[in-house]
Amino acid sequence: MTPFTFARATSPEDAARLAALEGHRLLGGGTNLVDLMRKGVEHPTTLVDVTALSTEIIETARGGLLIGAATRNTALAAHPLVRTRYPVLSRAILAGASAQIRNMATVAGNILQRSRCAYFNDPAASRCNKRAPGSGCDAREGFNRYHAIIGGSPACISAHPSDMCVALVALDAQVHLLGMTGARTVPLAEFYRLPGDTPQIETVMAPGEIITAIELPPLPVAARSDYRKVRDRASYAFALVSVAACASVQDGVLTELRLAFGGIAPKPWRALHAEQALLGGPVTREAVFAAMDLELAEAAPLAGNAFKLELARRTAVAVLADLTGVTA
Amino acid sequence: MNQPGRFATLTVNGRAIAATGDPARRLSDFLREEAGLRGTKSGCDAGDCGACTVIADGAAVCACLMPVGRLAGARVTTVEGLADAPGEAGTLSRLQSAFLRHGAAQCGICTPGMLTAAAALLAKKPRPTEAEAEVALGGVLCRCTGYRKILAAVCDAWREDVPEAPLAPGAAVGARVRRLDGVPKVTGADRFGADEWPEGALLLKAVRSPHFHAGFHFGDISAWKAARPGVAAIFTAADIPGRNRFGVIPAFADQPALAEGTARLRGEAVALVAFEPGAEPDLTDFPVTWQPLPYLLDPAEAEAEGAQLVHQGRPGNHLITGRVRRGDAAAALAASTHVVQGSMETAFVEHAYIEPEAGSAWMEGEVLCIRACTQAPVMDRDETAAILGLPPERVRVLPTAVGGGFGSKLDVSLQPLLGLAVLKTGRPARMVYTRAESMTSTTKRHPARITAQIGCDADGHVTALSFDGLFDTGAYASWGPTVANRVPVHATGPYRTPAVLARARAIHTHGPSGGAFRGFGVPQAALAQETLYDQLADLAGIDRLEFRLRNAFVEGDATATGQVLHGTGIHDCLTALAPHWTRALAEAAAANAAPGHLRRGVGVASCWYGCGNTSLPNPSTIRLGLTPEGTLVLHQGAMDIGQGANTVITQICADALGLPVEAFTLVGPDTFLTPDAGKTSASRQTYVSGRAAQAAGAALRAQILRLAGLNGAASLRLEAAAVVVEGETSHRVDLAALPPNPHGYALMAEETYDPPTAPLDADGQGTPYAVYGYGAQMVELEVDTELGTVRLLKITAAHDLGRVINPTLAEGQTEGGIAQGIGLALMEEYIPGRTENLHDYLIPTIGDVPPIESLLIERADPEGPFGAKGLGEHVLIPTAPAILNAVRHATGVTITRVPLLPHRLRAAILAKGAP
Ligand SMILES: Cc1cc2nc3c(=O)[nH]c(=O)nc-3n(C[C@H](O)[C@H](O)[C@H](O)COP(=O)(O)OP(=O)(O)OC[C@H]3O[C@@H](n4cnc5c(N)ncnc54)[C@H](O)[C@@H]3O)c2cc1C
Ligand code: FES
Ligand code: FES
Repeated sequence: MTPFTFARATSPEDAARLAALEGHRLLGGGTNLVDLMRKGVEHPTTLVDVTALSTEIIETARGGLLIGAATRNTALAAHPLVRTRYPVLSRAILAGASAQIRNMATVAGNILQRSRCAYFNDPAASRCNKRAPGSGCDAREGFNRYHAIIGGSPACISAHPSDMCVALVALDAQVHLLGMTGARTVPLAEFYRLPGDTPQIETVMAPGEIITAIELPPLPVAARSDYRKVRDRASYAFALVSVAACASVQDGVLTELRLAFGGIAPKPWRALHAEQALLGGPVTREAVFAAMDLELAEAAPLAGNAFKLELARRTAVAVLADLTGVTA
Repeated sequence: MNQPGRFATLTVNGRAIAATGDPARRLSDFLREEAGLRGTKSGCDAGDCGACTVIADGAAVCACLMPVGRLAGARVTTVEGLADAPGEAGTLSRLQSAFLRHGAAQCGICTPGMLTAAAALLAKKPRPTEAEAEVALGGVLCRCTGYRKILAAVCDAWREDVPEAPLAPGAAVGARVRRLDGVPKVTGADRFGADEWPEGALLLKAVRSPHFHAGFHFGDISAWKAARPGVAAIFTAADIPGRNRFGVIPAFADQPALAEGTARLRGEAVALVAFEPGAEPDLTDFPVTWQPLPYLLDPAEAEAEGAQLVHQGRPGNHLITGRVRRGDAAAALAASTHVVQGSMETAFVEHAYIEPEAGSAWMEGEVLCIRACTQAPVMDRDETAAILGLPPERVRVLPTAVGGGFGSKLDVSLQPLLGLAVLKTGRPARMVYTRAESMTSTTKRHPARITAQIGCDADGHVTALSFDGLFDTGAYASWGPTVANRVPVHATGPYRTPAVLARARAIHTHGPSGGAFRGFGVPQAALAQETLYDQLADLAGIDRLEFRLRNAFVEGDATATGQVLHGTGIHDCLTALAPHWTRALAEAAAANAAPGHLRRGVGVASCWYGCGNTSLPNPSTIRLGLTPEGTLVLHQGAMDIGQGANTVITQICADALGLPVEAFTLVGPDTFLTPDAGKTSASRQTYVSGRAAQAAGAALRAQILRLAGLNGAASLRLEAAAVVVEGETSHRVDLAALPPNPHGYALMAEETYDPPTAPLDADGQGTPYAVYGYGAQMVELEVDTELGTVRLLKITAAHDLGRVINPTLAEGQTEGGIAQGIGLALMEEYIPGRTENLHDYLIPTIGDVPPIESLLIERADPEGPFGAKGLGEHVLIPTAPAILNAVRHATGVTITRVPLLPHRLRAAILAKGAP
């Protein structure tokens, strides 16, 4: 582990100022960053403690929620307004990691957690364009069961590991950023960049920008929402495929729908094409399959992960059937 | 900002501690190394195992991911802070007592994490539901218990503990005696391999090959060392004074302690660096140059004509073939009414004990002392001595508590390295493997590819088995020969099979060495045989349980090796399952009556397993002494790796002697103090060491009665410096008056027992084991046919133990074995180079193990102590095949490869033509 120092910011602005310095990184819960330092994937020289960032969850004037960046995952999942108004978020968080990790992890850290690709995490013996741009990608020909089937590029096929973010992207969450040049807000759906030729650049954050909060818009349909995660064991395993959905049905017809997928793409994947295809129609197996075919038309699965095409469709059917009470 | 010196003050267990040094240091490391609180364990340093769980400001957190610098002002509670009045005896918290009462701690390495995670929950929710407890404990891995007793203890922790009532003499066997070594496991005081080291010890790190197969040479090691002042010494193979070859089976010893010019294994050690505390060098720039060489990872390729050889002198990369032949299997199959044929493929399985290999060593005069976790202290002594060129009596092995072994800690790992550093530097040394080192460099369960044919007649009586197994034994021999010999003997399962041809061959590759792992290849064989039994029963039109009952061995039946059986409990086990079977089938049928994608299934499978070495001597010696002061000392050399040997052997000895368990003081397996009780493997300790303990107890009793001039019925009582014997008359044997023997005992008995076996001939005919244990398990599950996922609902396990010495420990073994069987069936697949940690290699968590009902059967074996047989390995054998059989029942698909990950099950369902 590279030796490093520890700095405490006195305010969000101070945190942003420190974060802009060479070798400085914010330390949320540390559950990802500390581990990446042990593995020699990340080498910050100074860690900036996020205790200066908000841990509050407050109702906005519009009736949404403003969630401080340093809010612990456990606190967010347990918040009464989250549980009643955005149950999908609560369930997605609880479907991830373990109680201890959720007690430590912050909302911003969860959003910015890095790839779980075995090659990315193995600097000693593997090639990875995300970790060492231009070195190549060992996952493409290697062990890629957990990797992306859509949105990847020849340079990188790593999948985004977060559960929480799948729910957030379905809920149209906004990311509040603060940098040396001021504050701005970006929809989470536009926050992540697909890998293309530069898989090492994962978000639209400018150097030195930090996350100060996440904002959820008021979204009545989210009261009927659910999260479903298919994984290899009962707890703390990353998703093979996960689905976040909010839906309302009237007279057997879908009147509102938010649908997002985890485990299949380099970012939490909002399924806008599928949403559009399904809206105004009944929730049937055939309809969901057809909508998913549209959504995944650009998919480029590999030997080890082609099963996800099928699995994503079927998990979507399962969630929507549960949620709408229609036996698809 | 970063102040030198003190940078944070935190309160740990109510005591303020000023943290100095590196603010980025892991809290776990800080607690263990600085605060001296070694109850907090490190199993992975990555958040994956939860062994490091502590409570920080009311919340359970992973101390391994927590930089200590961020804890200024925080209140931290570790396992040492959980007792109601820490440090004093008799003040365990209710939670800790509940762990003892329920047998929730086996090896105890996960226990501190379990307890702290539970305590954080109980502080908010004193009477949690099972579901709440599962969420709270979902991030702490346990490899021993199968979690059920932990769950029960946590949910029951609100209750005040009622201490154990003392047992009448002679009533220890069969009683739910709490683990005799349990208290330190729940207070955090137990000392594992990484928990103790002599003052001033150097630390050791190995330089390991990142390649499956590579030549290597060193650059300027002295210059590298000179540039790193904290580095005290560097060793390579050239420094090894003795024979640089080890292996548990001497005739096959082929593994170097430090590789010589070629590394055959990813993770193989090639050099050893000793450094001062706090001066850990970065080994990524160690001067070694690798020349990666072509490698073999597929055993079929490895045995093909023209393949390169992993070891010269082993043509075809063939290590060994084991064979059992009885009758003419081909002819019998041809004449059978029904014949099934199939295959089974299994993966490398990692032992995944939560304690990575760890230990320390030092010199005491001429004697090299090694304190490390192990399953085989005497074998460690002999192998280390040979590598270091020392006579065995100059090596003393003092095992620590063992945080799980399951077979892998039978082989030496860091013992020779520790010894080398100490011999050469004259300084004490310590070494702790990282999780990755532990996973890459130690042994695995052999991956197997098995094909088999089984036939039966029109009445469903099995006629013949032909069985062929290819076992990937990896780079080094380890226990490959044992697997190859054990598998053919057990290939029939516990069923009468008149004609048998069974072969198992072990083939070298450059994969991890296939070693011992609970069952020595038999679980793989049972997967093939038991799944074919279901198909055969269906062909014959007979209920699957009934089919097994029809063929199960009974008293006096002969096995495939021609051995006539006694104490044969398989029929009893299957019979005990019958009512459960009827209920479960009816429930599944009712649930499946409605169409849908959730399909219920019920499966059954059996096991049998010979206790002790296959046709080889494996004696145990137990010594029991009474000091002149009246202290009763049991030299108990059977390593307790969590299974409970300390408790069970004492219970047996207590009843043979006629004194209560509380009267005993245990001296553990220290090669200078305790006679050899053999290795903890092959389910032999309860039976073999138990027999020796029974004999020692009886012998000491006889001596006492003789001195008292009594025989027959008499009760014993210990008093200061005396034994009081009450028979028809009462006598006082004055111990102080007896001359102490060279061991310092006024009275002493030492007894040895070696199972009576006979060698196997070229056709595998003979008496390989003196005692067999039996079992059968029934699995109820639900398959989501759309997603390919499996949800286990309940497992009912009937095991014949001959005599149940301790029901709590027996259930604990059963539940733990089942959890490993679940892993084998559904999730565990070690992929060399890719799954070398506990988040890519998945083992069952608390939510993966369903309720388990244990039915303990007692069909006494005339050889066993009080009739007892072994259990440790038996319990995991039926689980995986019973799961596959239940999946077939639920879905109709026949599974031929494990682990049955969701994508594989879904593919199998699709291949069968489901929508
Ligand atoms: C064993 C284990 C199992 C897991 N399983 C799952 C799972 O099943 N599902 C899942 O979704 N996740 C899982 N995770 C990942 C876990 O959710 C993340 O590690 C966690 O959310 C990261 O949060 P953190 O606060 O600890 O981040 P940190 O490690 O502190 O930080 C992560 C990154 O975010 C940056 N950062 C933090 N805060 C800010 C900020 N305010 N502004 C800018 N940058 C910031 C850091 O500099 C760092 O680069 C698992 C983790 C572990 C260890
Ligand atoms: S050591 Fe911290 S989680 Fe394993
Ligand atoms: S008792 Fe849990 S790991 Fe051994």
